[in-house]
Amino acid sequence: MTVQFVHLLDELRRRSLRMAGLVEDIVQEACEAVLNVDEPLARRVVARDSDVDSEEVKVEHEVIRLLALYQPVGSDLRLLCTILKVNNDLERVADCAINMAERAKHLDSPTVRTHNREIRQLCTLGRQILRDAVAAYVAEDESAAWKVVTQDDTMDALYSQFIRVVIAAASREPESLASHLDILSVAKNLERIADHATNVAEDVIFLATGQIVRHQAPGKGG
Amino acid sequence: MERPENTPEVVVRAEALTISYGDHSAVRAVTMDVFAHQVTAIIGPSGCGKSTLLRAINRMNDFVPSASAKGRLFYRGRDVYAPDCDPVELRRRIGMVFQKPNPFPKSIFKNVSWGATINGYTGDLHELVENSLRQAALWDEVKDKLHQNALTLSGGQQQRLCIARAVSLQPDLVLMDEPCSALDPIATARIEDLIDQLKSRYTVILVTHNMQQAARVSNRTAFMYLGELIEFDSTDVIFTKPNNPRTQDYITGRFG
Repeated sequence: MTVQFVHLLDELRRRSLRMAGLVEDIVQEACEAVLNVDEPLARRVVARDSDVDSEEVKVEHEVIRLLALYQPVGSDLRLLCTILKVNNDLERVADCAINMAERAKHLDSPTVRTHNREIRQLCTLGRQILRDAVAAYVAEDESAAWKVVTQDDTMDALYSQFIRVVIAAASREPESLASHLDILSVAKNLERIADHATNVAEDVIFLATGQIVRHQAPGKGG
Repeated sequence: MERPENTPEVVVRAEALTISYGDHSAVRAVTMDVFAHQVTAIIGPSGCGKSTLLRAINRMNDFVPSASAKGRLFYRGRDVYAPDCDPVELRRRIGMVFQKPNPFPKSIFKNVSWGATINGYTGDLHELVENSLRQAALWDEVKDKLHQNALTLSGGQQQRLCIARAVSLQPDLVLMDEPCSALDPIATARIEDLIDQLKSRYTVILVTHNMQQAARVSNRTAFMYLGELIEFDSTDVIFTKPNNPRTQDYITGRFG
């Protein structure tokens, strides 16, 4: 039974990591769709939502099945709890990417060009935080996960700064208010992606140490 | 010495305790404290010394001719192996429940009242029997057949009867050696509920092969392997983030 459980747990972990890769791809494509105002790509991104949704449900079913049948403890229990929580955050990340793609379908090119530098920065940082969180998850690396947690503040600061820029631009060009709100929504989704990636990193810290570090100042447990 | 506030009261303290059968040391230099009104579970693979350690506490190992003890073992600050320690008196304070229910082939009433009777109890025996059976969560099932032979009860009821018998002497500490291993899941659940209730009155030390049971009912868990105490910590720590890799391997079934 133990050999079988170890095999099933390993399979499930791989499945969760594959889902992380799938979500990273979707975020990358959503960013490209926004930056290039690429409507066909945006439509393809939106169509991938159901892949993530169905994978999320399959992973959750398998976690529940393994908990019920094997009642794991110790590192096995921590891994299953982490997979379940990461699964939820990955699905939310994909939702944010889908929201970005939905906006990209209607974005106005001049507005994107106006804010190209800031949006590119937000896309780069959002994708990097997600990539680092997934890498920490793959390696079960506590110190890499702590680095992700500290990066979230940079994202928050960048987003706050961008809000001010957009408000100033929108007040100068009230006729393009709708476009500015669209671009602000894109930025908000990128900020949320970084938040979910930070949650993933916090779950990795739990996986490695057994400590729940949510709602703590960064560095406390590191 | 005054006990500082919030420091748990120590009921049993082992200091470098070694128990040997002839040349073989079944328990090796174990040092641990058992706190009052807690359930302390001892887990580990067969032959790890957990039952030997349990039986050292009320000197049940005295019945094994080749058994010997080194180091110190204290019960309520008194050295259990000191020449002036009376093992019979010790066992009055320390009740024991065994793996297989072992009621006497007598009535339910006599099973519970036996210890009190032979110890010259002068109080109300009926009250004692009722209280003990209530504490063992058995009263409602047997109150109308107290004079029926105890061997007619089911296995789970017999084990609860043995617990009633143990608590009838108002012990301070109850030792349980695999108390559920001969019981079905429903009877096991009842005993586990009972253990949880008993800790408000008594201190309980539970030896079990069933790790889930240790996780469910105990406050602290000791993991033993080859006679050594490998890790002893709060049950939450042992079953979520044990510090020793051998504990981790054992609880996750990857041992050996």
